[in-house]
Amino acid sequence: METKIRIENLSVRYSDGTESLRDVTMDIYARQINVLFGPAGGGKSTLLRTLNRLNDLADVVTQSGHVTLDGEDIMAPGYDVIRLRRRVGIVFARPVPLPMTIYQNITYGLELAGVRERQLLDATVERCLKQAALWDEVGMRLHEPAHALSGGQQQRLCLARTLALQPEVILLDEPTSGLDPISTGKVEQTLQELKASYTIVIVPHSVQQAARVADWATFFLQGELVESGPRDQIFTNPQDRRTDEYITGRFG
Amino acid sequence: MFNRQVTQRIAFVLISLAAALVILPIFAIVGYIVVEGIGAINWEFLTTMPRHGMREGGLLPAIVGTLWLTVGTGLVAVPIGVGAAIYLAEYASDNALTRAIRIAIINLAGVPSVVYGLFGMGLFVVFLRFGTSILAGSLTLGIMTLPVIISTAEEALRAVPQEFRLVSTSLGGTHWQTIRRVVLPQALPGIITGIILGLERAAGETAPILFTVAAFFLPRLPSSIFDQTMALPYHLFVISTQVPGMPLQLQYGTALVLLIFVLSLNVLATLIRRHYRQQRVW
Repeated sequence: METKIRIENLSVRYSDGTESLRDVTMDIYARQINVLFGPAGGGKSTLLRTLNRLNDLADVVTQSGHVTLDGEDIMAPGYDVIRLRRRVGIVFARPVPLPMTIYQNITYGLELAGVRERQLLDATVERCLKQAALWDEVGMRLHEPAHALSGGQQQRLCLARTLALQPEVILLDEPTSGLDPISTGKVEQTLQELKASYTIVIVPHSVQQAARVADWATFFLQGELVESGPRDQIFTNPQDRRTDEYITGRFG
Repeated sequence: MFNRQVTQRIAFVLISLAAALVILPIFAIVGYIVVEGIGAINWEFLTTMPRHGMREGGLLPAIVGTLWLTVGTGLVAVPIGVGAAIYLAEYASDNALTRAIRIAIINLAGVPSVVYGLFGMGLFVVFLRFGTSILAGSLTLGIMTLPVIISTAEEALRAVPQEFRLVSTSLGGTHWQTIRRVVLPQALPGIITGIILGLERAAGETAPILFTVAAFFLPRLPSSIFDQTMALPYHLFVISTQVPGMPLQLQYGTALVLLIFVLSLNVLATLIRRHYRQQRVW
């Protein structure tokens, strides 16, 4: 498998003293669904937000180690974070449509990047909504406010919005935690289709989802990487006792 | 002595009374001025020059002067005030400079208006040689209005959910793009409300314009920002205290015009706020 992102000895500590990640070393593989799972407070979200430097907005005091994307050190001083965030998109746990229309939500990122051609914008909206399995439901009402959509539709809109920038990597932070099983199924199905051309990193909202979607899974416990491996190994034959106890439901 | 139920009842009555007492003076003042002044209001009163030592004729130069000053105050206070609010809400980190700015704003808000008037005279009229003029008056009123605009605008900006900023940033937005395209449009109704309330206060002030722009009697309209002008609050002061034999009805009529001007700004602010609150999605 081809490595897309390499994380070496990453440690992150917030200003309130909590240590979110401790000496994490792992690879994110290209065109795979990379799952980061484990109980709450394990540092998974922190790790996601390190990969597109969204942690720059948070109260991080110390961050050490190296993160490279296709060999580029994304934590280097002076690194173009705007370009990084276009290459590494993110979908959050709670769908937050921007206070605009459905259409504008999807074109927002492109317009920030200076894209003005109407045809290109129109085509992007259609492509992304189809990729996110939302076109059939909203294709006829693109110019209605996005907040009028249901929760499941909003989350797929957020995915479409991320896809509009044609990122190389898509980060998903518990993207289905607030969704019903049908919407969840649609999102998971979409991810399976997207992995042919995108690198996907997902923090699932349950062990079951982790086992369903993972190609490669990594187990985190209180800021520490416990174990990493292909799906079948992690979920059927884990090497570490703590991984075994977690996936069999003895704690969590 | 009293049991708990009685105490409770007494407390309720006293608190209700306090609430009623708040409303009472407002109705009393407005009602009294309307009753006494409505007879003076007619087309001539609103559109002609004062005559016969201001004892006859209209208010036109004072109305026009107050309009000029309100617009001028806005031109001074809005760019600086909103700019400062954006800095404080979106950029400022907690450091010595930020704390100094906040202390300055709090102190500006506490300065008595007559002190603004003297300051404006010293700086703008005398030192900068703007003379007694709309320019000097607008600058003085503008500085006085800054704290109101800054604090309401900052509050409106802070009320915009942090998640919008995070989303915009994650989609490759720069800090400024995020402010310009997401935060400001969402905060705008609150900012506009603050601006109008600030201008409303400025429009009704007497002391700051006393030494900087207001003319005792000037039966012509101002033609540039370097002209003096009459203004409603000062005119009201003049005809109430400085002009012997002034018909009482004209005094109340003038007060009524000033009140209507200020209250309509207030109503406008309320309408804007209500209109946008219904459209808000968060």
